[in-house]
Amino acid sequence: MSKTILSVRNLNKVYQDDKSVILENVNLDVEEREFLTILGPSGCGKTTLLRCIAGFEDYTGTVTTDGKVTKDPDVDRFMVFQDFNQLFPWKTVKKNIQYPLRIQGLKDKDELERIANETIASVGLKGYENYYPYQLSGGMKQRVAIAKALALKSKIILMDEPFAALDAMTRTRLQKELLNISKKTDCTFMFVTHNIQEAIILGTRILVFGDGGKILVDEKNPLAKPVSPSSEGYGEFWDRLHSALYQSDN
Amino acid sequence: MKKLLTLVLCLLFVLCGCSSASNEAKEETAEETKTETKKIAIAYQYGLAYAPVIIVKEKGLMEEAYKNLTGNELQVEWVQMSSGADINNGIASGEIDAGFMGIGPAMTGISKGLNYKVFTNISGQEHGMMSNDAAIASLGDLVGTENQIALVNIGSIQHIILAKALAENGYDAHALDANIVAMKHPDGMASLESGAVKCHLTSSPYIFYEHDNANLYEIKEVHEAWGQDKSFIVGIASTELNSDAELYQALCDSFVAAIDLINNNVNEAAALTCDFNGNTAEVEADYLQRGVYSTETNGLFEMLQFMQDNDFCDKNITSYSELVFDNVKGN
Amino acid sequence: MMNRKKALIAKALFLLAFVIIWEIVAKRNVFGSNSQIVFPTIETIAKAFVRNFKVGYAGISLWKYILNSMELLLIGLFLGIFLAFVFSAISMINPTFYEIYNMLVSICDLLPGVALLPVVIIIFGIHRSVIVFLVIHSVIWPMSRNLLDGFHSFPQIYIEAGMNIGLRGKSLLTGVYLPATTAYILSGLKVGWARAWRGLLSAEMIFGIASSPGIGLFINQMRTNLNNAEVYATLIVIIIIGVIVQYGIIDTIEKHTIKKWGMSK
Repeated sequence: MSKTILSVRNLNKVYQDDKSVILENVNLDVEEREFLTILGPSGCGKTTLLRCIAGFEDYTGTVTTDGKVTKDPDVDRFMVFQDFNQLFPWKTVKKNIQYPLRIQGLKDKDELERIANETIASVGLKGYENYYPYQLSGGMKQRVAIAKALALKSKIILMDEPFAALDAMTRTRLQKELLNISKKTDCTFMFVTHNIQEAIILGTRILVFGDGGKILVDEKNPLAKPVSPSSEGYGEFWDRLHSALYQSDN
Repeated sequence: MKKLLTLVLCLLFVLCGCSSASNEAKEETAEETKTETKKIAIAYQYGLAYAPVIIVKEKGLMEEAYKNLTGNELQVEWVQMSSGADINNGIASGEIDAGFMGIGPAMTGISKGLNYKVFTNISGQEHGMMSNDAAIASLGDLVGTENQIALVNIGSIQHIILAKALAENGYDAHALDANIVAMKHPDGMASLESGAVKCHLTSSPYIFYEHDNANLYEIKEVHEAWGQDKSFIVGIASTELNSDAELYQALCDSFVAAIDLINNNVNEAAALTCDFNGNTAEVEADYLQRGVYSTETNGLFEMLQFMQDNDFCDKNITSYSELVFDNVKGN
Repeated sequence: MMNRKKALIAKALFLLAFVIIWEIVAKRNVFGSNSQIVFPTIETIAKAFVRNFKVGYAGISLWKYILNSMELLLIGLFLGIFLAFVFSAISMINPTFYEIYNMLVSICDLLPGVALLPVVIIIFGIHRSVIVFLVIHSVIWPMSRNLLDGFHSFPQIYIEAGMNIGLRGKSLLTGVYLPATTAYILSGLKVGWARAWRGLLSAEMIFGIASSPGIGLFINQMRTNLNNAEVYATLIVIIIIGVIVQYGIIDTIEKHTIKKWGMSK
């Protein structure tokens, strides 16, 4: 039995502007090295939950990361946004990856070089070390964002629909790469998506959220990796998730 | 590329053509005006020292004199300018036929070779330097200090008067050059009163205002160096204008008349000029009487020599007659 | 768009044509017998250019005037930019301060420095600090306006990305806010410098301190003495200084920052 890396208790989130309730009494435990995918209709609060865990939002309740209560943003919970602008345009690919390490106090030049080269290679961007973000495609930028998290050795990587703005081909390729990366690292992933297929392909555990962050489905992925639509049981699982999502829409 | 070159060449061509064409046009119109209404452009400045100019302008004395002499109409275009330097440039470019300015810029213009001379003296005025510090009573209290002296410009007549006062009292003429702060008369007066500068060297009417202020003290040497009996404002005319005998005569006659009016009927003169100088008629009449209005110059050549000896202008004029037209009396 | 070489040749040809036309007009004495005084030939202006530096006015070379002006300009620019950063940074922390400062910037940005001269002289006296004050005034408001706009308009995700990697307070300011607003800072610098340079020259032409003579005073003195060739030559000096700052300094900074980062507006 793996240990619990993240636990969310009695989390409530109310928007100050119109007092609308986004998340109501959410409780969730995530185990180490799990790849958790979260499906849900728009406005169900799945992104907000991620932002609360990352520390970007005010909320009531507690988030405990690796045994410590965490409230503010820190490197142990790294957020990969959907927005391609999350890289600093004034830094090269390599500097974008090294800068957070420097901030964390890593000064050794050789070590910085090694980590940067290793992570850049692991996301398939060898040769792009000295490119500036504006010279990269959207998919490449998202890879760099993932590389940042890997370099930082964040305990939890929070991914908020990181591939949603990519074209279908790039998206499929990145899903495959992310799957490979997740197998090799000790990181835990929380991956929010609209896309049922993406959730099945990536997740080891899949949640479906209803309104207010109500958990409608919480299942281990029964399908063996790598999953493709032709995998046995895929259709049945897809239908189940789809009907849960559809139900939540009403 | 070839297109560009042709374009540039065409441009050059057109421009050359234009400039020669405009020259011809000028000559043509000059001939035309000889037979019809005569036109003349005169530059002037405002102020008490220029009172005769205001009178000539307001009473139409010059147009009248020209009509009496020739029976023809004269159209005078009066152009207001803000400094002698501006008028010098106007004359140099041929836009202006005559003008009125301090003897400083007039001497500068003549020594620079501008083709004009003095056709009349206008006035001598009171000049003086006031201080807001009782401890400053003479030039000796200023030499070697960092006390600031406001005056209208470096190289202006006020600057030259300061230099002359220094020289006459045994100092180097340029001993206070580094103390000068250049600013217009009203700004200088405000700066003196607010304490922003220690001294202000100015001319009438500002010196009158400052005399009336009990908190200000006069440094007498300046007043003694160049008093109101000496030439201050002169009228200058281009040699071209001078060669038109009737027009020149009309110009000179009108100023004789205007200056006579100030000297013989100051109240009538004051009534004409007071509005332009922002005074009541009574105050204006008082101020007019404190100036010396005369067609005769006094000290013009002396001033020029001082300027030449102390690097205020080029050294190339050796006689009074190079400064004035034949009709001008004085020295 | 023309290619660069062609554009360069076109500009060079234009300048050449301008000089030739100038020379033709000057040589033809279009203003009559005194034409040389108001419209001197290129040669006369070139000689005056050299004379400005070698002889100057009343024994003081134009160098001294330039150095004085530049010294005051640099002090003012530095202080103005520094203050703009301080106040804009406080504005980001304190909303009340932001509201007041934002209003102040909007009001003062519209005030030409030269119009303030009478008031400033009463406060400072006739002193070099008046010029410094005017330069500060010229640069602080456009710079603040750009900083405030910049802070509010760069993608807010930079801030979250910065907080995510452990940046807080001061490190967030230097690590995210400043580089993210570089384009705005540079455009503030451009506007501020141009205004400061003009304001400085106008102020020096309105009042000249003989003990600290500036370029504006030099022009005034030359104009008073009917040395128009020297005036033209000084204008060329002013243009050269402007070109050096614009193309030598500001453009170089742009090339090495926002152009390189693909961030130019």
